Amino acid sequence: MSIDVSGITKKFGDFVALDDVSVSLPTGQLTALLGPSGGGKSTLLRVIAGLEAADAGRVTIEGVDATRLPAQKRNVGFVFQHYAVFKHMTVAKNVAFGLEIRRKPKAEIAARVDELLRLVHLSQFSHRLPSQLSGGQRQRMALARALAVEPKVLLLDEPFGALDAKVRKELRDWLRRLHDEVHVTTVFVTHDQEEAMEVADEIVVINDGRVEQVGTPDQLYDEPANDFVMSFLGEVTTLGGVLLRPHDVHISATPQLAGAAEGTVARVLRVGFEVRVNVLTDDGEDVLVVLTRAHARQLGIEPGARVWVTPASGATTVPPMEAAVG
Amino acid sequence: MVEVSTPVRWLLRLAATGYVFFLVAWPVALVVRQTFADGLDNLLATFDDPNVVNALELTLVVACWAVVINTLFGVTISVLLVRYEFPGKRLLSALIDLPLSVSPVVVGLALLLVYNGRNGWFGPSLEDNGFQIIFSTPGMVMATCFVALPLVIREVVPTLTEVGDDQEQAARSLGANARQTFWRITLPSIKWAVIYGVVLSLARSLGEFGAVKIVSGNVTGSTQTATLMVEAKYQNFQQGTAYATSFLLILVSIACLVVVALLRPKHQ
Amino acid sequence: MTSALAGVTTEAAGPASQEGRRPRRARRATPKNTLTRGAALGLGITMVWFSVLVLIPLAAIVATASENGWSQYVDTLQNPQTWAAIKLTVGQALLVTAVNVVMGTMIAWVLVRDRFPGKAILDVIIDVPFALPTIVAGLVLLALYGPESPIGVHWANTERAVFLALAFVTLPFVVRTVQPVLEEIDADVEEAAASLGASRTTIVRRIVLPSLTPAIAAGAALSFARAISEYGSLVLLSGNLPFQTEVVSVRVLSFIENGSTASAAALATIMLAVALLVIVVLDIVQRRVSRRG
Repeated sequence: MSIDVSGITKKFGDFVALDDVSVSLPTGQLTALLGPSGGGKSTLLRVIAGLEAADAGRVTIEGVDATRLPAQKRNVGFVFQHYAVFKHMTVAKNVAFGLEIRRKPKAEIAARVDELLRLVHLSQFSHRLPSQLSGGQRQRMALARALAVEPKVLLLDEPFGALDAKVRKELRDWLRRLHDEVHVTTVFVTHDQEEAMEVADEIVVINDGRVEQVGTPDQLYDEPANDFVMSFLGEVTTLGGVLLRPHDVHISATPQLAGAAEGTVARVLRVGFEVRVNVLTDDGEDVLVVLTRAHARQLGIEPGARVWVTPASGATTVPPMEAAVG
Repeated sequence: MVEVSTPVRWLLRLAATGYVFFLVAWPVALVVRQTFADGLDNLLATFDDPNVVNALELTLVVACWAVVINTLFGVTISVLLVRYEFPGKRLLSALIDLPLSVSPVVVGLALLLVYNGRNGWFGPSLEDNGFQIIFSTPGMVMATCFVALPLVIREVVPTLTEVGDDQEQAARSLGANARQTFWRITLPSIKWAVIYGVVLSLARSLGEFGAVKIVSGNVTGSTQTATLMVEAKYQNFQQGTAYATSFLLILVSIACLVVVALLRPKHQ
Repeated sequence: MTSALAGVTTEAAGPASQEGRRPRRARRATPKNTLTRGAALGLGITMVWFSVLVLIPLAAIVATASENGWSQYVDTLQNPQTWAAIKLTVGQALLVTAVNVVMGTMIAWVLVRDRFPGKAILDVIIDVPFALPTIVAGLVLLALYGPESPIGVHWANTERAVFLALAFVTLPFVVRTVQPVLEEIDADVEEAAASLGASRTTIVRRIVLPSLTPAIAAGAALSFARAISEYGSLVLLSGNLPFQTEVVSVRVLSFIENGSTASAAALATIMLAVALLVIVVLDIVQRRVSRRG
């Protein structure tokens, strides 16, 4: 295991940011720390980087106990949400910073900077100042800067959070490809479940300072440990007292399956290729059903129609909040 | 945006410029004109006077020391106030501004009470060990430091707050220690604020009068600074010299203002 | 120069990019010690210097004044010449502060909202009193309002001379505190008010002025503090005539020159108390502004 975190607790005044968190992040993988804002995931990343000191617990990086090591001795690459570019230095100087601190020979620095700028597609900007770059370019530069010192692990704190949707998507794909090329153990923080599912090999879901679940994107989606993970990873609805995904609700115009709940279509909303249907069951549940446009047309669904809904076979279901808490 | 009607706008414009014209611009212009009433003779005669040259040199020495000390002190205190938490921080940050509202005469008295060689708190023992403060250059440097103390801090603190500590954290994560982070990252990012602070401090230091008058002893040719000389010459009816020295001081202070005005928009 | 004087606006700004990071805000709420060893050393050295330069000397004033207990203050204040100086200083300082509130706000308005050739020069001239040596300020005013006045105004050695000198040296304070706040007032808010049917005077009175009030108050406090402590610009201009144009600072100086240190210290302590009061007022105003911002 590349990074071992055990029993980490961190408080800011009365606010408990991390509550006895233990997690192991595997070598060479791309791991996402996923959770809502203020849930503690950024704090965990900063504790791993040494930018924040934990109140209790241990951090081990590549077998070395790093708990008491200051940030500058941990040899981790850190990428900040707001880039943290050195504004008074050129792009090349930014990337060279860590190497200059380590007093590497000039020729070696130049060669390495050149190589990295090519890797992040910024070669032609090497003599510009960061203020002349776009947000996405700045973040790529920050990534090159972090990679320059050949860190044991690369930590990214909401790296695409400050970028607009399109650039975000591009950079996300690019990060995945970059990781496949350089293979450095990478941990990134995000509150965007789509981003985590698309990019990460493994996801750690963190909420209220605790780890809710660790697993591959598929595991989390198919076998959520609890209602929080389930509802955080995608849309959910309630049917027959359990949580399930709206596309896992089977809907029919006739009572085909035993135990199906009967109800009335309250609202039909078409979004592109999918149709979202609100069904008000006779038991008083408001069930959201998502189906394809063709399927909806075939069933003749329109407001006021009588329908029968039931969980589809193989649907992932989780008991609702109250049960989970108890 | 409220659009004021044209007559009101003209009225406001006239009142504002008129007030500033009669209070500042015209009087300053008059002094400049009187300096050159006899062409350059007055100015040249003034700088032939060894006492004047001595006063100008002393002013420069005292101001330079005060600026250097205040810059070191100011940058250190600013970094501590913005980047660290410690007990008493709020009190310290309020006290730092105190010198701006203390009368120069009170500053002089305060230093006198502690450092005068006869019956000050520390003065006699310091003089026994060969350190004369009052009626000597160190006392004048201290008085000047006191009155100009907050200027660098007031420039640097807002900039340091605005820049944030992201860049410093990034530097640390890249392996830089505290010293490297300060010299390579923090200082370059507050460079302009420090320069403004230095220029403002310089203007203030060159012009200090009241506090220096009390602690210097005001001895012509030895502890008389340029501002003290202006007073002495004017009261001795050597108005030509007073005007010429004032002109020089006006020139320096306006140059300081212009430097700040030119630099500021580009870098903020 | 702007921020050298504008105390109010600096803290209100704060770091802009911390949204969504709850821990930061929480940390600020609970003061604790985050000094590293190097930082603690730096704090130690600077505190020694600050004490040697500022705190101990100021404490010496208070201590000297208190050696004879309250009677020292009573005696000092009962001296009719001193009392006249206090009355004159406070009276003129209040008058100058009032003028600054009106003129300073007006000048700030003109600098921010008006456009005319030479405005940039006006902007620089505002700072001249701040950068000019005080003794030179006195000399300069004497050129226009003294015995050789080209416009025939002879105010030297009168109460008006005191007013002039104080008005000169305090000119930048209100202007420089109000100006940045006025710049940042959202045009949207005024347009919204206008769209709701507010007249121009109503907008100024109900929208603009209230948001300027803290800045005006801060500028006024700074003006007042500076005015009551002024010395240099009055030396040549006011003549320092007892009972007529002698201000508190001059009084302190003559106590020092006469060797009555205790009286000087007593009067200086009163001036210090006023200075402290101003700082407390400013701190409160600043905190209120930053809480609202």
